Amino acid sequence: MKLKQLILSSMVLVSVSAWADPTHRLFVTNEKDNTVSVIDSRTGTIETTLELGERPRGIGLSPDHKTLYVALSGDNAIGVVDVATLKVLGKLKAGDDPETFDVHPDGNLYLSNEDDAKVSVLDPATNEIIEEIRVGLEPEGVAVSPDGSLVLVTSESTNMVHVIDTTQHKVIANILVAARPRGLAFSHDGTRAYVSSEIGNEIAIIDTKTHEITKKVSVDVPRSKPMAIKISPDGKTLYLTTGRASKVVIMDAMTLEIKSTADVGNRVWGAALSRDGSTLYTANGASNTVSVVDTATSKSTKEIKVGEAPWGLVLDD
Amino acid sequence: MRVIKKWLFVLLLALSQPLLADVINVPLHYVGPTEGSVWMGVQQGLEEANVQGEFLGQKYTIEVVTTQDLLSLEHATAILLATDDQHILGIAESEKFANVPVFNLVSDSDVLRSACIPNLLSIPASQKMKKDALAQWLAENPNSTAHVQGWHEDFKKFAASQLNNRFKRSHGVVMDNDAWSGWAAVKLLADTVARTNSTDAAVMLKYLKNDITFDGQKGASSTFRDTGQLRQLLLLVDDNKIVAEAPLRGAKGGLDSLGLKSCK
Repeated sequence: MKLKQLILSSMVLVSVSAWADPTHRLFVTNEKDNTVSVIDSRTGTIETTLELGERPRGIGLSPDHKTLYVALSGDNAIGVVDVATLKVLGKLKAGDDPETFDVHPDGNLYLSNEDDAKVSVLDPATNEIIEEIRVGLEPEGVAVSPDGSLVLVTSESTNMVHVIDTTQHKVIANILVAARPRGLAFSHDGTRAYVSSEIGNEIAIIDTKTHEITKKVSVDVPRSKPMAIKISPDGKTLYLTTGRASKVVIMDAMTLEIKSTADVGNRVWGAALSRDGSTLYTANGASNTVSVVDTATSKSTKEIKVGEAPWGLVLDD
Repeated sequence: MRVIKKWLFVLLLALSQPLLADVINVPLHYVGPTEGSVWMGVQQGLEEANVQGEFLGQKYTIEVVTTQDLLSLEHATAILLATDDQHILGIAESEKFANVPVFNLVSDSDVLRSACIPNLLSIPASQKMKKDALAQWLAENPNSTAHVQGWHEDFKKFAASQLNNRFKRSHGVVMDNDAWSGWAAVKLLADTVARTNSTDAAVMLKYLKNDITFDGQKGASSTFRDTGQLRQLLLLVDDNKIVAEAPLRGAKGGLDSLGLKSCK
């Protein structure tokens, strides 16, 4: 066991050196059949299916894109995969019931532990939880600011966004938002953050300096339950998934005005945007599919069959 | 110079924490049993309200009182009642508490809803709500032996499983209808204090009746009707298994297809 950990640690350590060539692989967590679908995003076909552990949900890449991390809620662990070879490298400690996470530019993972009302900071190089930070009930969405100075976390049942200073690992502000906050995203310059509220059916903009809400709108789409947020590379457009409304809502990122909507599969949660902003991928939990949306036309061009209850996805491009 | 800077930093850090004097104390008065489901639910709600309060500078307490104590109070923020219909009516209709939110935690009596008392808020589903939910179900499943519950230990959707887990972890038993009602009442009050930043009973009552969007961890957002009834999803349960959620798909009026819709 010790040896295995050591090998794993050194492999992760080695992998934080240089950028890798993109594999164009799209990785999708399937919460209910304990698999990760690997899709070739250039052809839209399934390349293979990985089995990492129980109840995979949150998913992300190391800063150099060489390593894939998957939150395995049922195993209290983070599964680790080599992006290029698809070799399963092992599991990292993650505290109780890790739901999702974001990766800091320094390589550390900030994880929400849903049942424990805390955020854990995991150093993948040493496989040690280096800090635990108490937050509200049912922490979910996590977002690290582009410069790494702040981490935002939503607590679903306490209706807050907690602002964590990464130098002290302390909560420095708590922002009350609409009921059941879930998704988070930073603007590319880090001055604004976006938060979605599932039950409150709202999306809000937070000024990351003053911690004030500067704008909020109710999402005027039938049955909308806002979830994941993605920002276009030019920062002008916001993509919001809406759960049972089965639509991606496309908004002006400054005014939050709805510009158009794209029909996707049922109960759409996770989303991934290609680096050039041309393609948006969504995880459709009730359809067991991934939708491929052409952002130029706001139309779904393909629906790819994946595993059971797809939750989140990440693209290596 | 460096030392001064360091002390200045520590001072600023200390000032940025909520000071003790800034903490708002929120006492909630409770009449009812101090053991069993509804009490455990109230305790669960209290624990969670204080997690939220920790971040916002609010401290909640439950003051267990007798009816006598209650009537001699000079001031009340909110009153929680796990008593019988007559008692609930008596307290809610008393002049003294006309502007104080009075929560009915246990009674399903239709009379408490049709009385349309402006400060009475009923958390559990009324008899009529349960009857309507069953009728929707039986329209498609005539031979079913199902009955209606507001909550169930196996309910998983909409983060219900997280609440069930928390409750079981704290109390060692499963969460039932009454426990959910006790929890929901305290959570509703904590949400109200958090958002209004007020413990003025009249301000809270107005917010509860007109503005709240409550996440009861069973899907749709919950609001109060003018009858004082909390709108909510209900469960059809057969042989201790959840077989459906009401309102059933396609039921006209959504949540308002269940029970007395309005006082008007």
